[in-house]
Amino acid sequence: MAVFESPKPRINNSMLSQYISRPICFVGRVEKVHPTGKSFTLSDGEGKSASVELNEPLDEELSGVVEVVGVVSNKGAIMASAYNMLREDQGIPFDLELYNEALKVIHEYPQHYPFELATSG
Amino acid sequence: MWNQGGSYGESNMGGGYTQSPGGFASPAASQGGEKKGRQRAQHIIPCTVSQLMSAAQTEDVFRVGEVEVAQVTIVGIIRTTDKSMTNIQYKVDDMTGAPMDVKQWVDTEDSSVDSTVIPPGTYVKVSGNLRSFQNHRSVVAFSVRPLEDMNEITSHMLEVVQAHVLLSKPQTIMLGGGGGMNTSMVPLSRPGMGGNMGGGYSGANDMSANGLSPSQNQVLSLIRSCADAQGISTQDLKQRLSGMSLAVIKHAVEFLSNEGHIFSTIDEDHFKSTDNDD
Repeated sequence: MAVFESPKPRINNSMLSQYISRPICFVGRVEKVHPTGKSFTLSDGEGKSASVELNEPLDEELSGVVEVVGVVSNKGAIMASAYNMLREDQGIPFDLELYNEALKVIHEYPQHYPFELATSG
Repeated sequence: MWNQGGSYGESNMGGGYTQSPGGFASPAASQGGEKKGRQRAQHIIPCTVSQLMSAAQTEDVFRVGEVEVAQVTIVGIIRTTDKSMTNIQYKVDDMTGAPMDVKQWVDTEDSSVDSTVIPPGTYVKVSGNLRSFQNHRSVVAFSVRPLEDMNEITSHMLEVVQAHVLLSKPQTIMLGGGGGMNTSMVPLSRPGMGGNMGGGYSGANDMSANGLSPSQNQVLSLIRSCADAQGISTQDLKQRLSGMSLAVIKHAVEFLSNEGHIFSTIDEDHFKSTDNDD
Protein backbone atom coordinates (compact mmCIF):
# COMPACT_ATOMS: atom_id res chain seq x y z
CA MET A 1 0.00 0.00 0.00
CA ALA A 2 1.16 3.49 -0.76
CA VAL A 3 0.68 4.50 2.84
CA PHE A 4 3.51 2.27 3.94
CA GLU A 5 5.91 3.67 1.41
CA SER A 6 5.49 7.23 2.58
CA PRO A 7 6.58 8.92 5.78
CA LYS A 8 4.00 8.53 8.55
CA PRO A 9 4.62 11.28 11.07
CA ARG A 10 3.97 10.30 14.64
CA ILE A 11 1.31 12.59 16.00
CA ASN A 12 -1.19 12.96 18.79
CA ASN A 13 -4.75 14.20 18.85
CA SER A 14 -3.90 17.90 18.92
CA MET A 15 -1.95 17.55 15.68
CA LEU A 16 -4.61 15.67 13.73
CA SER A 17 -6.05 18.77 12.11
CA GLN A 18 -2.68 19.64 10.60
CA TYR A 19 -2.44 16.31 8.83
CA ILE A 20 -5.76 16.01 7.04
CA SER A 21 -5.49 13.67 4.05
CA ARG A 22 -1.97 12.71 5.05
CA PRO A 23 -0.57 9.41 6.28
CA ILE A 24 0.27 9.39 9.96
CA CYS A 25 1.12 7.08 12.82
CA PHE A 26 -0.99 7.37 15.96
CA VAL A 27 -0.34 5.60 19.24
CA GLY A 28 -3.01 5.46 21.92
CA ARG A 29 -4.78 3.37 24.49
CA VAL A 30 -7.95 1.55 23.44
CA GLU A 31 -11.03 3.16 24.89
CA LYS A 32 -14.02 1.74 23.10
CA VAL A 33 -14.52 -0.70 20.28
CA HIS A 34 -17.63 -0.37 18.17
CA PRO A 35 -19.82 -3.51 18.25
CA THR A 36 -19.34 -3.98 14.51
CA GLY A 37 -15.61 -4.14 15.07
CA LYS A 38 -15.06 -1.66 12.25
CA SER A 39 -14.07 1.26 14.39
CA PHE A 40 -12.62 2.08 17.78
CA THR A 41 -11.39 5.01 19.77
CA LEU A 42 -7.93 5.56 21.17
CA SER A 43 -6.83 8.03 23.79
CA ASP A 44 -3.42 9.61 23.37
CA GLY A 45 -0.82 10.56 25.98
CA GLU A 46 -2.70 13.75 26.74
CA GLY A 47 -5.92 11.87 27.33
CA LYS A 48 -7.56 13.08 24.14
CA SER A 49 -9.54 10.70 21.99
CA ALA A 50 -9.24 9.88 18.33
CA SER A 51 -11.52 7.76 16.25
CA VAL A 52 -10.10 4.99 14.09
CA GLU A 53 -11.94 3.34 11.22
CA LEU A 54 -11.02 0.05 9.62
CA ASN A 55 -11.66 -1.48 6.22
CA GLU A 56 -12.27 -4.89 7.65
CA PRO A 57 -13.82 -5.61 11.03
CA LEU A 58 -11.48 -6.64 13.79
CA ASP A 59 -10.88 -10.35 14.06
CA GLU A 60 -9.32 -10.19 17.48
CA GLU A 61 -9.82 -8.63 20.87
CA LEU A 62 -8.27 -5.19 20.92
CA SER A 63 -6.85 -3.85 24.17
CA GLY A 64 -4.00 -1.91 25.70
CA VAL A 65 -1.86 0.42 23.64
CA VAL A 66 -2.24 0.29 19.88
CA GLU A 67 -0.23 1.85 17.09
CA VAL A 68 -2.25 2.76 14.03
CA VAL A 69 -0.98 3.72 10.58
CA GLY A 70 -3.46 5.49 8.35
CA VAL A 71 -4.70 8.66 6.71
CA VAL A 72 -6.52 11.45 8.49
CA SER A 73 -10.01 12.08 7.14
CA ASN A 74 -11.34 15.61 6.88
CA LYS A 75 -13.44 14.87 9.94
CA GLY A 76 -10.29 14.19 11.92
CA ALA A 77 -10.76 10.45 12.11
CA ILE A 78 -8.02 8.04 11.20
CA MET A 79 -8.72 5.76 8.24
CA ALA A 80 -6.47 2.90 9.24
CA SER A 81 -4.35 0.87 6.86
CA ALA A 82 -2.82 -1.19 9.63
CA TYR A 83 -2.61 -1.42 13.35
CA ASN A 84 -0.58 -3.34 15.86
CA MET A 85 -0.90 -3.76 19.56
CA LEU A 86 2.18 -2.83 21.52
CA ARG A 87 2.76 -5.88 23.59
CA GLU A 88 2.86 -5.47 27.30
CA ASP A 89 2.95 -9.19 28.00
CA GLN A 90 6.46 -8.99 29.41
CA GLY A 91 4.92 -7.12 32.28
CA ILE A 92 6.42 -3.83 31.20
CA PRO A 93 3.70 -1.24 30.66
CA PHE A 94 4.05 1.20 27.82
CA ASP A 95 4.41 4.75 29.13
CA LEU A 96 2.06 6.67 26.89
CA GLU A 97 2.63 9.99 28.61
CA LEU A 98 6.38 9.68 28.07
CA TYR A 99 5.74 8.80 24.43
CA ASN A 100 3.73 12.00 24.18
CA GLU A 101 6.68 13.99 25.52
CA ALA A 102 8.91 12.30 22.97
CA LEU A 103 6.47 13.36 20.25
CA LYS A 104 6.94 16.95 21.29
CA VAL A 105 10.70 16.55 21.12
CA ILE A 106 10.76 15.07 17.65
CA HIS A 107 8.44 17.76 16.34
CA GLU A 108 10.61 20.37 18.02
CA TYR A 109 13.68 19.06 16.23
CA PRO A 110 12.48 18.05 12.77
CA GLN A 111 15.99 18.52 11.41
CA HIS A 112 17.12 15.66 13.62
CA TYR A 113 14.07 13.45 13.24
CA PRO A 114 12.87 13.98 9.70
CA PHE A 115 9.67 12.57 8.30
CA GLU A 116 10.26 13.05 4.65
CA LEU A 117 10.81 11.27 1.39
CA ALA A 118 14.42 10.45 0.60
CA THR A 119 16.02 13.07 -1.54
CA SER A 120 19.36 11.53 -2.24
CA GLY A 121 20.30 8.08 -3.38
CA MET B 1 16.52 -17.52 21.59
CA TRP B 2 17.83 -14.27 20.36
CA ASN B 3 21.26 -12.95 20.96
CA GLN B 4 22.16 -11.05 24.07
CA GLY B 5 19.90 -8.09 23.84
CA GLY B 6 21.25 -4.62 23.28
CA SER B 7 24.86 -5.57 23.60
CA TYR B 8 26.54 -3.79 20.76
CA GLY B 9 29.98 -4.76 21.88
CA GLU B 10 29.77 -8.24 20.46
CA SER B 11 29.66 -9.76 17.08
CA ASN B 12 26.76 -12.12 17.37
CA MET B 13 27.11 -13.86 14.09
CA GLY B 14 29.75 -16.41 14.87
CA GLY B 15 32.90 -17.08 12.97
CA GLY B 16 32.02 -16.29 9.41
CA TYR B 17 31.16 -12.65 9.69
CA THR B 18 33.76 -10.10 8.73
CA GLN B 19 33.12 -7.56 11.47
CA SER B 20 35.40 -8.38 14.36
CA PRO B 21 34.36 -7.65 17.95
CA GLY B 22 37.29 -5.33 18.47
CA GLY B 23 35.89 -2.53 16.40
CA PHE B 24 32.73 -2.22 18.43
CA ALA B 25 34.40 -2.22 21.77
CA SER B 26 34.56 1.47 22.33
CA PRO B 27 31.12 2.88 23.08
CA ALA B 28 29.33 -0.28 23.93
CA ALA B 29 25.93 1.17 24.58
CA SER B 30 24.59 3.88 22.38
CA GLN B 31 24.51 6.29 25.32
CA GLY B 32 28.22 6.36 26.01
CA GLY B 33 29.55 7.27 22.62
CA GLU B 34 27.51 10.24 21.54
CA LYS B 35 27.88 12.40 24.61
CA LYS B 36 31.59 12.87 24.01
CA GLY B 37 30.85 15.22 21.17
CA ARG B 38 33.70 13.94 19.04
CA GLN B 39 32.99 12.39 15.69
CA ARG B 40 34.75 9.08 15.43
CA ALA B 41 33.67 6.32 13.16
CA GLN B 42 33.54 3.86 16.07
CA HIS B 43 30.35 5.35 17.41
CA ILE B 44 27.13 3.51 16.97
CA ILE B 45 24.54 6.14 16.33
CA PRO B 46 20.78 5.93 16.72
CA CYS B 47 19.13 7.06 13.51
CA THR B 48 15.89 7.14 11.64
CA VAL B 49 15.41 5.40 8.34
CA SER B 50 14.82 8.78 6.71
CA GLN B 51 18.21 9.99 7.89
CA LEU B 52 19.91 6.90 6.53
CA MET B 53 18.17 7.22 3.18
CA SER B 54 19.04 10.88 2.74
CA ALA B 55 22.54 10.77 4.21
CA ALA B 56 25.14 12.34 1.97
CA GLN B 57 27.83 10.02 0.77
CA THR B 58 31.40 10.85 -0.14
CA GLU B 59 33.36 7.73 -1.06
CA ASP B 60 32.90 5.42 1.89
CA VAL B 61 31.69 7.97 4.34
CA PHE B 62 28.06 8.71 5.08
CA ARG B 63 26.97 11.92 6.71
CA VAL B 64 23.67 12.90 8.26
CA GLY B 65 24.00 16.65 8.39
CA GLU B 66 27.39 17.02 10.06
CA VAL B 67 27.26 13.70 11.80
CA GLU B 68 29.31 10.90 10.32
CA VAL B 69 27.44 7.62 10.49
CA ALA B 70 28.72 4.15 9.92
CA GLN B 71 27.36 1.87 12.61
CA VAL B 72 23.77 2.72 13.36
CA THR B 73 20.77 1.56 15.29
CA ILE B 74 17.22 1.84 14.13
CA VAL B 75 14.01 0.77 15.80
CA GLY B 76 11.07 -0.21 13.68
CA ILE B 77 8.47 -2.79 12.85
CA ILE B 78 9.12 -5.63 10.46
CA ARG B 79 6.87 -5.39 7.43
CA THR B 80 8.20 -8.22 5.28
CA THR B 81 10.74 -10.98 5.51
CA ASP B 82 12.65 -12.98 2.97
CA LYS B 83 14.87 -15.84 3.94
CA SER B 84 17.49 -17.42 1.74
CA MET B 85 20.23 -19.92 2.47
CA THR B 86 22.78 -17.35 3.51
CA ASN B 87 20.79 -14.42 4.74
CA ILE B 88 17.53 -13.04 6.00
CA GLN B 89 16.21 -9.83 4.53
CA TYR B 90 13.77 -7.69 6.41
CA LYS B 91 11.99 -4.50 5.58
CA VAL B 92 11.90 -2.44 8.75
CA ASP B 93 9.52 0.49 9.05
CA ASP B 94 10.13 3.20 11.63
CA MET B 95 7.43 5.53 10.23
CA THR B 96 9.92 8.12 8.99
CA GLY B 97 9.73 6.90 5.42
CA ALA B 98 9.47 3.76 3.35
CA PRO B 99 10.64 0.61 5.14
CA MET B 100 14.41 0.09 5.12
CA ASP B 101 16.09 -2.99 3.75
CA VAL B 102 17.94 -4.81 6.49
CA LYS B 103 20.09 -7.77 5.69
CA GLN B 104 21.28 -10.21 8.26
CA TRP B 105 23.78 -12.88 7.34
CA VAL B 106 23.10 -16.35 8.56
CA ASP B 107 26.03 -18.43 9.64
CA THR B 108 25.21 -21.79 8.19
CA GLU B 109 28.01 -23.50 10.11
CA ASP B 110 27.09 -22.27 13.53
CA SER B 111 24.06 -24.19 14.64
CA SER B 112 23.95 -22.40 17.96
CA VAL B 113 22.82 -19.23 16.25
CA ASP B 114 19.15 -19.66 15.73
CA SER B 115 18.28 -18.37 12.32
CA THR B 116 14.55 -18.37 12.76
CA VAL B 117 13.03 -15.47 10.94
CA ILE B 118 11.35 -12.83 13.10
CA PRO B 119 7.75 -12.53 11.93
CA PRO B 120 6.26 -9.41 10.35
CA GLY B 121 4.50 -7.17 12.83
CA THR B 122 7.31 -7.48 15.37
CA TYR B 123 9.06 -4.39 16.64
CA VAL B 124 12.84 -4.80 16.51
CA LYS B 125 16.02 -2.93 17.24
CA VAL B 126 18.49 -3.27 14.40
CA SER B 127 22.20 -2.64 14.89
CA GLY B 128 24.40 -2.64 11.84
CA ASN B 129 26.25 -0.76 9.18
CA LEU B 130 24.82 1.53 6.58
CA ARG B 131 25.64 0.41 3.08
CA SER B 132 25.00 1.76 -0.36
CA PHE B 133 25.16 -0.44 -3.40
CA GLN B 134 24.24 0.87 -6.83
CA ASN B 135 22.45 3.75 -5.21
CA HIS B 136 20.41 1.44 -3.05
CA ARG B 137 20.70 1.96 0.67
CA SER B 138 20.46 -0.81 3.17
CA VAL B 139 21.63 -1.79 6.61
CA VAL B 140 23.77 -4.87 7.07
CA ALA B 141 22.83 -5.94 10.55
CA PHE B 142 24.92 -7.67 13.15
CA SER B 143 21.99 -7.72 15.50
CA VAL B 144 18.24 -7.79 15.00
CA ARG B 145 16.56 -8.04 18.36
CA PRO B 146 12.81 -8.12 18.99
CA LEU B 147 11.76 -5.52 21.52
CA GLU B 148 10.41 -6.78 24.77
CA ASP B 149 9.90 -3.35 26.26
CA MET B 150 7.97 -1.13 23.86
CA ASN B 151 9.23 1.91 25.69
CA GLU B 152 12.39 1.38 23.63
CA ILE B 153 10.47 2.92 20.77
CA THR B 154 10.14 6.07 22.81
CA SER B 155 13.70 5.97 24.07
CA HIS B 156 15.04 5.49 20.57
CA MET B 157 13.17 8.56 19.33
CA LEU B 158 14.73 10.60 22.09
CA GLU B 159 18.17 9.06 21.61
CA VAL B 160 18.13 9.92 17.91
CA VAL B 161 17.47 13.58 18.61
CA GLN B 162 19.94 13.69 21.47
CA ALA B 163 22.73 12.00 19.53
CA HIS B 164 22.36 14.17 16.48
CA VAL B 165 22.16 17.36 18.51
CA LEU B 166 25.20 16.43 20.59
CA LEU B 167 27.27 15.33 17.63
CA SER B 168 26.51 18.39 15.57
CA LYS B 169 28.74 21.41 15.95
CA PRO B 170 28.36 23.33 19.22
CA GLN B 171 26.63 26.28 17.58
CA THR B 172 23.46 24.27 17.63
CA ILE B 173 21.52 23.93 20.83
CA MET B 174 23.16 21.55 23.26
CA LEU B 175 20.95 19.48 25.50
CA GLY B 176 23.36 19.99 28.35
CA GLY B 177 24.88 16.69 29.29
CA GLY B 178 22.54 13.77 29.12
CA GLY B 179 18.98 14.88 28.86
CA GLY B 180 17.88 11.49 30.02
CA MET B 181 14.56 9.89 29.41
CA ASN B 182 12.42 11.54 32.02
CA THR B 183 9.20 13.26 31.19
CA SER B 184 10.57 16.75 31.62
CA MET B 185 12.83 16.46 28.64
CA VAL B 186 11.55 19.40 26.71
CA PRO B 187 14.69 21.49 27.14
CA LEU B 188 13.54 24.69 25.54
CA SER B 189 11.08 25.49 28.28
CA ARG B 190 13.66 25.14 31.04
CA PRO B 191 15.97 28.13 31.00
CA GLY B 192 18.48 26.75 33.43
CA MET B 193 18.94 23.53 31.66
CA GLY B 194 20.94 23.70 28.63
CA GLY B 195 20.93 26.67 26.41
CA ASN B 196 19.02 29.71 25.42
CA MET B 197 16.92 29.19 22.37
CA GLY B 198 16.93 32.81 21.39
CA GLY B 199 20.62 33.13 22.07
CA GLY B 200 21.45 35.09 25.17
CA TYR B 201 25.06 34.06 24.77
CA SER B 202 26.90 35.11 21.71
CA GLY B 203 27.98 31.59 20.99
CA ALA B 204 24.62 30.12 21.94
CA ASN B 205 26.52 27.70 24.15
CA ASP B 206 25.63 27.15 27.70
CA MET B 207 27.41 23.88 28.09
CA SER B 208 30.24 23.77 25.63
CA ALA B 209 31.44 20.64 23.98
CA ASN B 210 34.01 19.96 26.69
CA GLY B 211 31.33 19.78 29.37
CA LEU B 212 32.59 22.78 31.35
CA SER B 213 30.49 25.66 32.50
CA PRO B 214 31.28 29.17 31.26
CA SER B 215 33.09 30.17 34.45
CA GLN B 216 35.13 26.98 34.46
CA ASN B 217 36.04 27.61 30.85
CA GLN B 218 37.13 31.16 31.59
CA VAL B 219 39.35 30.05 34.45
CA LEU B 220 40.79 27.26 32.34
CA SER B 221 41.59 29.55 29.40
CA LEU B 222 43.40 31.96 31.68
CA ILE B 223 45.44 29.19 33.24
CA ARG B 224 46.25 27.83 29.78
CA SER B 225 47.36 31.19 28.54
CA CYS B 226 50.00 31.54 31.25
CA ALA B 227 53.46 30.77 29.96
CA ASP B 228 55.28 31.00 33.29
CA ALA B 229 56.92 27.87 34.63
CA GLN B 230 55.28 28.28 38.02
CA GLY B 231 51.90 28.83 36.48
CA ILE B 232 49.27 31.39 37.41
CA SER B 233 48.18 32.10 40.93
CA THR B 234 44.69 32.28 42.34
CA GLN B 235 45.31 35.95 43.09
CA ASP B 236 46.16 36.60 39.44
CA LEU B 237 43.00 34.84 38.42
CA LYS B 238 40.96 36.99 40.76
CA GLN B 239 42.54 40.12 39.33
CA ARG B 240 41.96 39.11 35.75
CA LEU B 241 38.44 37.83 36.31
CA SER B 242 36.98 40.81 38.05
CA GLY B 243 33.45 39.59 37.58
CA MET B 244 34.05 36.38 39.46
CA SER B 245 34.22 36.03 43.21
CA LEU B 246 37.19 34.30 44.81
CA ALA B 247 34.89 31.55 45.99
CA VAL B 248 33.69 30.82 42.47
CA ILE B 249 37.25 30.86 41.17
CA LYS B 250 38.43 28.47 43.86
CA HIS B 251 35.51 26.22 43.18
CA ALA B 252 36.30 26.17 39.48
CA VAL B 253 39.98 25.53 40.17
CA GLU B 254 39.13 22.62 42.41
CA PHE B 255 36.85 21.13 39.80
CA LEU B 256 39.36 21.55 36.99
CA SER B 257 42.07 20.03 39.13
CA ASN B 258 39.92 17.03 40.00
CA GLU B 259 39.11 16.53 36.35
CA GLY B 260 42.75 16.66 35.42
CA HIS B 261 42.67 19.85 33.35
CA ILE B 262 45.12 21.65 35.63
CA PHE B 263 47.72 20.85 38.27
CA SER B 264 49.33 22.79 41.08
CA THR B 265 52.96 23.82 40.84
CA ILE B 266 55.06 25.65 43.44
CA ASP B 267 52.22 25.67 45.94
CA GLU B 268 48.52 24.99 46.05
CA ASP B 269 47.73 28.45 44.81
CA HIS B 270 49.60 28.22 41.53
CA PHE B 271 48.33 26.25 38.58
CA LYS B 272 49.24 25.20 35.08
CA SER B 273 47.14 23.55 32.46
CA THR B 274 47.78 19.93 31.55
CA ASP B 275 47.15 20.82 27.92
CA ASN B 276 50.09 23.18 27.57
CA ASP B 277 53.12 22.51 25.47
CA ASP B 278 56.07 23.21 27.74
